[in-house]
Amino acid sequence: MSTQPPLELPYPKWLTARVAEIARYIQGRYSFSRRCIALLALAGDEDALQLLQQREHPTNWESIRAIVNETRRSCPQPVTYIMAASRQKAAAALLDGVLQTHRPQPETWLDVLGRLTMQPPAGIPILILVLYFALYRFVGVLGAGTLVDYIEGTIFQTYLNPWFTDLVCQLVPWPLIQDLLVHEYGIITLGLRYAIAIILPIVGCFFLAFSLIEDSGYLPRLALLTDRAFKFLGLSGRAIIPFTLGLGCTTVGTLVTRTLETARERVIATMLLALAIPCSAQLGLILSLLSGNRTALIIWAGFVLLVFVLVGSLLARILPGEGPLFYLEVPPLRIPQLENVLTKTITRMQWYFFEVVPLFVLASVVIWLGTHTGLFKSVAARSEFLAVCLGLPAEVGAVFLLGFFRRDYGAAGLYDLIAQGLLSTRQLTVAAVALTLFVPCLAQFAVMVKEHGFYTAFAMAAFTVLCAFSAGVCLNRVLILLGLV
Amino acid sequence: MSYPGELAHIYKYQCENAAYNPGRRWGKFKGGINMRLNRPNLAGGGLGKVVLVGYPNVGKSVVFNRLTGLYVLVSNYPGTTVEVARGRGKFKELVLEVIDTPGLYSLLPSTVEEKVARRLLLEEKADVVVHVADACNIERMLPLTLQLLEAGMPLVLLVNMIDEAKRRGLKIRCDLLSQRLQIPVIPAIAISNWGLGKLRKKVAELVHTATA
Repeated sequence: MSTQPPLELPYPKWLTARVAEIARYIQGRYSFSRRCIALLALAGDEDALQLLQQREHPTNWESIRAIVNETRRSCPQPVTYIMAASRQKAAAALLDGVLQTHRPQPETWLDVLGRLTMQPPAGIPILILVLYFALYRFVGVLGAGTLVDYIEGTIFQTYLNPWFTDLVCQLVPWPLIQDLLVHEYGIITLGLRYAIAIILPIVGCFFLAFSLIEDSGYLPRLALLTDRAFKFLGLSGRAIIPFTLGLGCTTVGTLVTRTLETARERVIATMLLALAIPCSAQLGLILSLLSGNRTALIIWAGFVLLVFVLVGSLLARILPGEGPLFYLEVPPLRIPQLENVLTKTITRMQWYFFEVVPLFVLASVVIWLGTHTGLFKSVAARSEFLAVCLGLPAEVGAVFLLGFFRRDYGAAGLYDLIAQGLLSTRQLTVAAVALTLFVPCLAQFAVMVKEHGFYTAFAMAAFTVLCAFSAGVCLNRVLILLGLV
Repeated sequence: MSYPGELAHIYKYQCENAAYNPGRRWGKFKGGINMRLNRPNLAGGGLGKVVLVGYPNVGKSVVFNRLTGLYVLVSNYPGTTVEVARGRGKFKELVLEVIDTPGLYSLLPSTVEEKVARRLLLEEKADVVVHVADACNIERMLPLTLQLLEAGMPLVLLVNMIDEAKRRGLKIRCDLLSQRLQIPVIPAIAISNWGLGKLRKKVAELVHTATA
């Protein structure tokens, strides 16, 4: 199989002699040259010795072993060291004249920027700029605003939905089946519309922004910048990836927790994602709900952040195990390559579409079942007392129930309640906080089960509900006490 | 796995594929070749094999993605290529199996991952071995090249990230190195696909001479 004779390296004469001696005893066929096997054996490599023992005649094997032992005993330095030194020397000789040094090119603006992003005084303002433009302007305003308005409002509501509703109503005479496909909670009018018209543009924009940032080499810098803060939560800077991705879609974020090194880190990150990280769809809706009231917005953001930090540091104290060690090699900052960015974006969107969209359809079916069997009504009726504890009108119970199917369905439900003028600002703030913290959506729960097993996932979800509820009650009391809003 | 401090400034690419999509069910929109061309096309039957080896963090996974068109999510972010990725790539008129290995510092392995990489070399009977090296640290990479040659591997040396070396003021005369080592030495910038056409050509030539 080899195309050229194996290379001779300038080992000391006695070593070359020993190698030749051993090679003479090697009769079998190996993928490596005999000389290489002999060298490995001399270096004391267990695999090579085992291979020789298996394949060579016992007498030959005995001779080989004798030579190896004798050499290793008589040699003043480790044999591996001598070999490595010889190879280094050979490499240096080979590179003589091959390697030419020039003056390094002057630092470009990219190098300077790359250095600045890692130092807090400049790094934090840069981070805020990146978050503002990538997350708020691009994903929030362009994706969740302009694109969704066009695709959802114009294409779906004006053209597709009425057309499908007519079609289904003509083809299917039974109202029950009609409800499954179209109308308020239908697979086409709700499930697909939600997936394609609302979530896809938002998530698509997010993935595009994320790929751009990823390809530029900014993420490792961000990880270094945030490492110390994450240490406090029992995580390393590496966790910035699942969390930023989680802001796009918490389900994807949960999947990506696999890149974290220890099981402990993965549990903490998954828990925090389930609890305190809103996904882009939810984030967009809540931001628009609270946009009228700056105090409410600040209270909401501050409180969710507080829960995030509190729960994280608590988990870091409770869970057994060491904090993660963090090694990071920082690549140079590069101008992102259009092809790479598009490839990554499209692959992620492809993934999203095929893995997540079926769950939307499933959610539609479950809601259809729940509505028609009356299950929802009874559960909603029972969950009303929860809403009352939070100081919220009883209708919010149903909103929370919806929130389990899609985090943003819940937020959308709140929207309707506000339109009807049912909520005061305090109630709105409490509801927004509780909904943000509330259970992960169905898709995220499915991924949590896949990653951590049913019991852990269930425990996490239960804790989330408990935590969201008690946090909501606390916040409600505090707000009443302080009379802030 | 931890990295020695001396590697601190080297690139590190991560195969997130393990995290993302283990069956690569939806990940191969560019990789039609991996689904279509299933036929053996070498004399001995079976697909010819190209094995990528090299230090950790030199861009093996990027080269792998470029060669196979398989989309293994590669990110500019640290981690390890824990899994051995396999795919098919087109080398001129040949379709060959391409195997990506975990990082390997020396043929005398010390970590589990290195052992995996060496076992692949021992057992896979590669038709061509491509040693992917980081141009910035070529003098630390060459001993592995020498070991691979010593083992009689049909070798191609790919000097990757040549742009980064140039920025640091290093010039590498690949033609001269090729003459001295008697193997093809190809400068490349895998991330921008530069130099990989030449790699494909050389690999195809080597496979031809090996099977002729």
